Amino acid sequence: MASWVRPRRIPIVRIVVIALFLAFVLAPLYWVAITSIKPSDDYLAVPPVWFPDAPTMVHYEAALFAYRGLQGLINSIIISISATILSVSVGTLMAYSLARFNTGGQHLSFWVLSQRFLPPIAIILPLFLNYRLVGLQDTHVGMIVAYTVFTLPVSVWMMFAYFRQMPRSLEEAALVDGCTRWGALWSVAMPLAAPGIVAAAVFTFIACWTEFFFALVLTSRNAFTLPTVFRAFLSFQGAQYGEASALAIVSLVPSIILGVLVQKHLVRGLTLGAVRG
Amino acid sequence: MADVKIKGLYKRYGSFEAVRGIDLDIPDGEFTVLVGPSGCGKSTLLRTIAGLEEISGGEIAIGGEVVNDMRPRDRDVAMVFQDYALYPHMTVRNNIGFGLKARKMPQPEIDSRVDAAATMLGITALMDRLPRQISGGQRQRVAIGRAVVRNPRLFLFDEPLSNLDAQLRDEMRGEIKRLHRDISTTMIYVTHDQIEAMTLADRIVLMRDGVIEQEGAPLDLFERPATTFVAGFLGSPKMTFLSGRMVRVEGAVTIALDDGPRLPLPEGRIPDVADGRAVILGVRPEHISRATGPAAAPGSARLDAVIEFLQPTGSRTYATFRLGRAQVMAEFEAHDTGRPGETVPLDLNLSRASMFDAATQRAI
Amino acid sequence: MAHAAAIGDNRSGMPQRRLPSAKKSDRQFKWLLVTPAVLLILAISIYPLVFSIWVLFVNYDFQIPGHAFVGLKNFQQVVTDPVFRYSLWVTVALTVANVAIEFLLGLGIAMLLAKSFRGRGLIISIIIVPLFISPVIVGQAWALLLQRPFGPTNYLLSQLLGHEVTIGWLTEFPFNFIALVVADVWQWTPFMFVILLAGLTAIPPHVYEAAELDGVGGWQVFRHITVPHIAPMMMLAITFRLLDAIRMFDTIFIMTGGGPGTQTYTTSFYLYTIGFAQFHLSRATAGAWIFLVLTLLVIVFLVRRLLKPEAK
Repeated sequence: MASWVRPRRIPIVRIVVIALFLAFVLAPLYWVAITSIKPSDDYLAVPPVWFPDAPTMVHYEAALFAYRGLQGLINSIIISISATILSVSVGTLMAYSLARFNTGGQHLSFWVLSQRFLPPIAIILPLFLNYRLVGLQDTHVGMIVAYTVFTLPVSVWMMFAYFRQMPRSLEEAALVDGCTRWGALWSVAMPLAAPGIVAAAVFTFIACWTEFFFALVLTSRNAFTLPTVFRAFLSFQGAQYGEASALAIVSLVPSIILGVLVQKHLVRGLTLGAVRG
Repeated sequence: MADVKIKGLYKRYGSFEAVRGIDLDIPDGEFTVLVGPSGCGKSTLLRTIAGLEEISGGEIAIGGEVVNDMRPRDRDVAMVFQDYALYPHMTVRNNIGFGLKARKMPQPEIDSRVDAAATMLGITALMDRLPRQISGGQRQRVAIGRAVVRNPRLFLFDEPLSNLDAQLRDEMRGEIKRLHRDISTTMIYVTHDQIEAMTLADRIVLMRDGVIEQEGAPLDLFERPATTFVAGFLGSPKMTFLSGRMVRVEGAVTIALDDGPRLPLPEGRIPDVADGRAVILGVRPEHISRATGPAAAPGSARLDAVIEFLQPTGSRTYATFRLGRAQVMAEFEAHDTGRPGETVPLDLNLSRASMFDAATQRAI
Repeated sequence: MAHAAAIGDNRSGMPQRRLPSAKKSDRQFKWLLVTPAVLLILAISIYPLVFSIWVLFVNYDFQIPGHAFVGLKNFQQVVTDPVFRYSLWVTVALTVANVAIEFLLGLGIAMLLAKSFRGRGLIISIIIVPLFISPVIVGQAWALLLQRPFGPTNYLLSQLLGHEVTIGWLTEFPFNFIALVVADVWQWTPFMFVILLAGLTAIPPHVYEAAELDGVGGWQVFRHITVPHIAPMMMLAITFRLLDAIRMFDTIFIMTGGGPGTQTYTTSFYLYTIGFAQFHLSRATAGAWIFLVLTLLVIVFLVRRLLKPEAK
């Protein structure tokens, strides 16, 4: 049967193209990683130093302490984790209601989704003014609330898709067995949705962790997050390459690890559940 | 233990009416089967009894108590679902005990009840496994155990056997029948399978398009179907419908089949309809036998027909004949058949066959 | 009957709480669940938008005290500002270039990786990495690679071309635009890739086998089998990317700062500058509303059509 099927070889062109694309993906990452451990004297060398003879950690020290990277890191951790917990818990409840009771028909779910596509600039101007009025400007609470709302479409729609593919009959069995609606949600639906909740949490966290625009406008000296620290390196043409790279590594390593871990939920995460992964 | 009384029940989804004015009395302890083609409203009816669907009109009473606005948990009913609906994150033991725990029963009593139910269903060896680690038939037992352990006043089954293979289905059918014999609680069972309905039911409620087409004891429905729909739904192979007209010839009343022979109707089986009226004769395979004696037996009509083809099943053989414009199937002894193309004399038992008015499709 | 007795007929262990109306509590329950999320969105997203309608018609400017009513002056100032109109064109141009390149490249790579082979999982894991990195860092990384005189790009080009290359990648037209596109393509091609790959791997193999038996090959298969199968995915990926691409801000902030001059101002960057560098908040708000309405038109026409069949 199989004998007449020609064995497929991977054509050489295909390998070359894939290799080139991988190089394109990896080049910036490699350069950032190498720059972060390169002594400052190597910056200007011609030809460029592809790998430093004497790797150094001084840039990490400077980035974290001299440029308040550590403070940004801590703020980012506090704000991202808090916003993730809030967004996913509030979003999961809403998603459950939308998926099981079709609450508000299509209008409500579409309204939530549309939040995802509003241009941030339109929200941020009045939000900035209001935050100043009520004293939330440059506070952790202000950032947490803002990030919670800005990630709600992601958590709601990811969980919405997850609940919809879960059979209803399990919760119905729980209702007949003697649970209240809350009981069925808490002791049956939630444990079963746990993998989806974890995936939604990771995507929400990454969204908060990598966000720049809101943080740029809503924070200054107190609640600034890691990405906004990069502003500090703009004015010094080149002198802080090592520090910028070190900070980049500190920021991107955790989110890449998390992202690759929940890779199989990636399609659902990127399309807000419109496509099953 | 409780009876169920349903009055004028309606269930609408938007403009679609899934259940349209159902009245049904189910006595305490009876095994009632709701049967019908898919989309007939049988599952919806069951789910309204469980409280999983809000009703749009009418009344449901369980044990004399109107439960229209009562939550499922307060109705004291148990339900076995088509996909078993076992909680995948709980062991078999916790699955069975979950309902008792949700009702805040003390743990020692839960344990003893769960063990008793497990013993009864022969699943004691599986108690610490997860649902995904056991077979389909075992899952079904666990699902039944989860219902039994609660000792509810009413059992609801929603096509519980449709996910099992044929052999397991036969086996579980027997188990459910035995369960009802042992605990004699009221049971309502939904299926689209007429064999399940016939074998399990004390009473069959046959539904179509959201209304009850006919209800009654299985053999009553089988032998005296009220409509062609009921007649066609119950029985396998299906009843054959032959259309014809009432014709009175020389005092005898006959049915003249379209393009076919005239069949004289026996005394006591003569319907009260006008001469020339279009009727439908419903014939089951067992109503036709191979003629033996010189003349037709009383109540039967003798005719000659050509065998078109044969379908042996082992114990019986089904022979298909052409009669007028229609094909008709007869049930023969396995070897007593003849060959395709051969003309054989047949006795058609008209006193057992059904007759319907062609215009109304109702029995006459 | 013996079994039933063993299980026990004791109903006293089961408290039977009867609430008056299950319907009502169900209805409350479903609204209760959505309430926190809805309130949060109302407070942080809808209220500010409504508030900003007031800002539109007054003078809200940190350089001028008071909030005098000015009618449509804010709109007039924005619309007549040539930089605003120019920024819309920059936004459109960059969006089209980014999304088109990302789509084609993503589709190509997805097709190369559609069939399973050894090492494919690892390759996919590497390709998706840019999705998890802050755009600021992406901008920073490409600035490091490109910037004159420190970055290695010009050196490599010199070696390749055999003569000295001294391109100011972040400061000279058109190289600054190329740099921005490269950074965006680097970050978001994986987005297209992931969605299109999901579409490609979902095509049942027997479809291709049937085509092979019919003697259909190559381009025909792609046009008549592959494309129709993944067309919904293509639409979805393009729509999502489009709606994100038109907000482009972060990489510009880090890489070109909008420069030289206002050459690389996107609309988001322009409005940010007007609002938060010059503090003409009312004028920026007016521009943001124009931008918002343009975006909403795209949302209503694209997203709604796209998600409706999925929601069924």
